[in-house]
Amino acid sequence: MSALARGTGVAVALLVTTAIVWGSHVSFGGAGEIAVLRVAWSARPERIERCRRLSEAEIAALPVHMRREMECEGAAARYRLEVMRNDVLVDSATVLGGGLRNDRELYVSREIVVAPGEQAIRVRFARLDSSSVPPGDEQSPGETDSMAAQTREFGDRAGREADERRRRRAEAIPAVLTVDTTLALNSRQVILVTYDPLSRRLVFKGAP
Amino acid sequence: MAAPQRSIEQLAWRALGAADAACNRLYGWRGNPLYQSGTIAVALLIVLLVTGLWLLLFYRIGSPYASVANITASPFTGNWVRGVHRYASDAALVATVVHLFRMFAQGRSWGPRTLAWVSGVVLLALIFVCGWTGYVMVWDVFGQALALEGARMLDTLPVLSEPVSRAFTGERPVANAFFFVNLFAHVALPLGLAVGLWLHVSRLARTALLPPRPLMWTVIGVLVAASLVRPIAMDLPASAFSLAATIQGDVFYAFWLPISQQLNGGLALGLGFLAFVLLALVPLAMRRGPERPPPSQVDQEICVGCEQCAADCPYEAITMVPRTDPLLLVRSETVAEVDPAKCVSCGICAGSCAPMGVGPPGRSGRNQVAEVREFLRAPARHAGELVVICCDRAAPGLASDVAAAGGVLRKVDCVGSLHTSVIELHVRAGSGGVLVLGCPPRDCWNREGPKWLSERVYHDREAELQARVDRRRVRIAYADVHDGPATRATIRAFAKELDLLDHPAADATLDIDAVCDPVPAEPAR
Repeated sequence: MSALARGTGVAVALLVTTAIVWGSHVSFGGAGEIAVLRVAWSARPERIERCRRLSEAEIAALPVHMRREMECEGAAARYRLEVMRNDVLVDSATVLGGGLRNDRELYVSREIVVAPGEQAIRVRFARLDSSSVPPGDEQSPGETDSMAAQTREFGDRAGREADERRRRRAEAIPAVLTVDTTLALNSRQVILVTYDPLSRRLVFKGAP
Repeated sequence: MAAPQRSIEQLAWRALGAADAACNRLYGWRGNPLYQSGTIAVALLIVLLVTGLWLLLFYRIGSPYASVANITASPFTGNWVRGVHRYASDAALVATVVHLFRMFAQGRSWGPRTLAWVSGVVLLALIFVCGWTGYVMVWDVFGQALALEGARMLDTLPVLSEPVSRAFTGERPVANAFFFVNLFAHVALPLGLAVGLWLHVSRLARTALLPPRPLMWTVIGVLVAASLVRPIAMDLPASAFSLAATIQGDVFYAFWLPISQQLNGGLALGLGFLAFVLLALVPLAMRRGPERPPPSQVDQEICVGCEQCAADCPYEAITMVPRTDPLLLVRSETVAEVDPAKCVSCGICAGSCAPMGVGPPGRSGRNQVAEVREFLRAPARHAGELVVICCDRAAPGLASDVAAAGGVLRKVDCVGSLHTSVIELHVRAGSGGVLVLGCPPRDCWNREGPKWLSERVYHDREAELQARVDRRRVRIAYADVHDGPATRATIRAFAKELDLLDHPAADATLDIDAVCDPVPAEPAR
């Protein structure tokens, strides 16, 4: 093999190595002069139930171990998300619960690209379906106990069921959530609007 | 095979041939990295394993970016190891793709090789995903971009109860569980690679998993040098609350990223999946059953049970089994049996069988000898002519070179299938010399053809060239069909050597039939 071929071989090997090293550090670009408003949270949707008190005849027709005073049917509520920037609607969506039957937690995940600078941001998340409190659920748990005690046949059970429905309502995301503020967004900043389950309201994260 | 596919394959072969020729000129066939693309990939995977285990000692799931930054900050035990790990992963991917292209261009993707092809595509996918998870481990802006894209794709699958993307929104810090799963995948996938590699070479005999040492250490040395010259630098850490102005990424593992980010997650995932499925379906597209060359057959009456064909078969397609015909038990207790599913019809067994009892239909040693007899009887033959024998793939490219050098060209399926009796007949019939031009050993489409022929001619391997043949008139040389000048030089050099010898004379006692007659079965039936 000639010296020329050997030298060319070394040069080609260096070239290939350089190409591999270069390819390992390619700039993919990045975000330009933008900011992002990220609206993301997960929460349990409210269960909208239609409850009715069973008649004596209906109760009697049920097996003893299945007898209950109230019969409730329903589904997870639907919600409407609206994001407004400077009083202009920039994003909206109808949000359903997760899972095939939409009875799991709902997930909101939207990203809205906005220009850096001062922006009036308003996010509203409101339940679309109306809810009605079943009779007997309005009271506090203590009151329910006293009411249930009056029911001879069902004893504590009616109270427990009412408590369970109340607990589920308390864990569910509120019917209406709104956050409205003016933000000074920097370039390439991401502001997160999320739901805080402790304070039960929408909060900003990542704000300067 | 449909015409368009065939033309794509031929186009690929021409491109590969040009690249092979260039590399042979620069590095010689022993150092041609294109011939060794598969073994280089394996060597690099071992490098990745060793450097990866070292890096794993310092990686912390609870603080991925900080731990990688610590590794990177250590110039001797960290940075260059990480550099070698990274560059080796890139080079492994490149070598794998080159190997894939090579197999496609050489038509080694179908029939009995389908398993190797499909497992190779799976290996490529595993390497790809392994690299992906590796970059996510760093958890810089590039790793975050890859993780987000992966999450976006996964979220389109109706199998996860909670969207993966939620892990990265910034509602809460990214869970350690995510980094654990990612690390687990990055460590577990190489185990999958090992299984895939075992499957990939499971139909090969005497598998060469590593390249020749000089080449292997050169490749590793170059990568080490590269990691020292261009050390790895840390990019900005991943953050849910800021966007990176620039992302330094690896184009080999993330070339798809800018495209994917513009597409719906499901579409991006589907396109990626489709690409690998289409690659895996190449064997179906390139060849169809009726065109498949017939597998070798064994003539049980001729087979002496010597096991040489089973030993020489590069695909472990021949096994020795007990004879079922009691009349032939006196010949041997076992007889060769060909597994048609494994036989690629290379014909190497035809060259390995001294009594000429095995080989593809029409291409056994007996058929070869019959063809030589026809050839020698042709009136155009003249004493002292140079006979050049090459495989039928190389023949079209060598015809003009052989003619220019005053030789006469004869072709066989693979020089490894050439029975030494053919060489003997040519020499003893008065040919000036026989030059067998084989593919460089690592370029043999049938893996071991030139190696076995060389062993039979020069080292008395079973089915050897008989001692009565004048060795000075026989030469085995390696020729790159795409390197005409080198081939011409080889032919001319041999012709010049032959000129120095006495004028050859045909062997008056030559009994062609006696050479190829099978050993009779005993007792006579």
